[in-house]
Amino acid sequence: MSGRRDRESRREERLREEQKIGATEQRQRMIKLASAGAFLALVVVAVLIVISSGSSGGGDSGNIVEAKEVDKLLAGIPQKGMVLGDPGAKVAVLEFGDLQCPFCKGYSEEVLPQVIENRVRSGEATLEFRNFTIIGPQSKPAGAAALAAGEQGRGWNFVELFYRNQGTEESGYADAAFLTAIAKAAGVPNLAKWNRARKSQVTVARVEATSAEAENLGFTGTPSFALEGPGASGVEAIGTPESVGELESAIENAGE
Amino acid sequence: MKAPAEGTLRGIGTFLATFGIGVATYIAIADSGGGSPVCIAGGHGCQTVAESSYSHLAGINIAIFGIAGYVVLLLCALLRGDAFRMTAFIVSLVGFGYSLYLTYLELFTIDAVCQWCVASAVLMTLLFVTNAVRMLTYVGTEP
Repeated sequence: MSGRRDRESRREERLREEQKIGATEQRQRMIKLASAGAFLALVVVAVLIVISSGSSGGGDSGNIVEAKEVDKLLAGIPQKGMVLGDPGAKVAVLEFGDLQCPFCKGYSEEVLPQVIENRVRSGEATLEFRNFTIIGPQSKPAGAAALAAGEQGRGWNFVELFYRNQGTEESGYADAAFLTAIAKAAGVPNLAKWNRARKSQVTVARVEATSAEAENLGFTGTPSFALEGPGASGVEAIGTPESVGELESAIENAGE
Repeated sequence: MKAPAEGTLRGIGTFLATFGIGVATYIAIADSGGGSPVCIAGGHGCQTVAESSYSHLAGINIAIFGIAGYVVLLLCALLRGDAFRMTAFIVSLVGFGYSLYLTYLELFTIDAVCQWCVASAVLMTLLFVTNAVRMLTYVGTEP
């Protein structure tokens, strides 16, 4: 009897040992599986980050293009604030634009370079950028950033470069990273000062003031132009000239 | 240090995930109405973050992904067994990792902080810790 009990007791003990080993092995397997799961989770996070950083709808802060072309266009022309050209020029061309506006981008690339070359570089006219923020809330900080660049003599570099790297309207691409990348590429010398200026209430108020001015001039879209000069009656609104020739002849008339 | 009982961890997970669903749902509803969440402490941080391109992933507001994640974590907290311990750990790790990235974006790229996003990031961090302890301590044991 005693021998049988001993055998059963040893058998139960062995079974308990086996169960214990089985449970430990099972736990180790599960921990390994969890490690693989954790790796997979990190891969998923990496993929999400890649998708997120690529979904900014244009306006890639990591790839600012055409800085050299803009430098070449504006090289040697004096800039003060947002005014490009010789301060003694007879005619002042005022451009009311929205940095988010795709039509302004097209105008800036196709019409203004010739006007800058033919009329501004020669000292006949100045060209001033004034904000008319009509696209959406994201236009205002972008416009303020341009004015802040203008305080350091790089306003036109900022505007031209912004247009050439413009993203989709109101897609959020014009965030701090994008604006900073544009300011850097535009050659703004003191970025800390620029950063403070673009956020200041005074700068934002200037954006709002020129937008109100554009409305007072009767403008409803961008870009819209106005001229000042001996042949113009005060600040004369001319709307949006359809070609280089049309804008240049308006400049000639205002200068007479 | 002795880990808390699994029931306690599941209770904490249930509470945190429920809270997370509330926060993410508020952000999603505010966005769907064409607006943005209102920062309780004032400021325009929530609006700036909501208008940022990073608030959407493949055209979908990330708060929707947040709701989905919190719902899965809630179910995993309510249910027993290894499958749910593992799923909760993996999902909360994804949420925690992505929350870290979003917080980095807020501080260094978007240049604005949204309190609702910070609240969600804190909840997701706590959920990750809770589910990591639950998984490491109790996986392979009887439910």
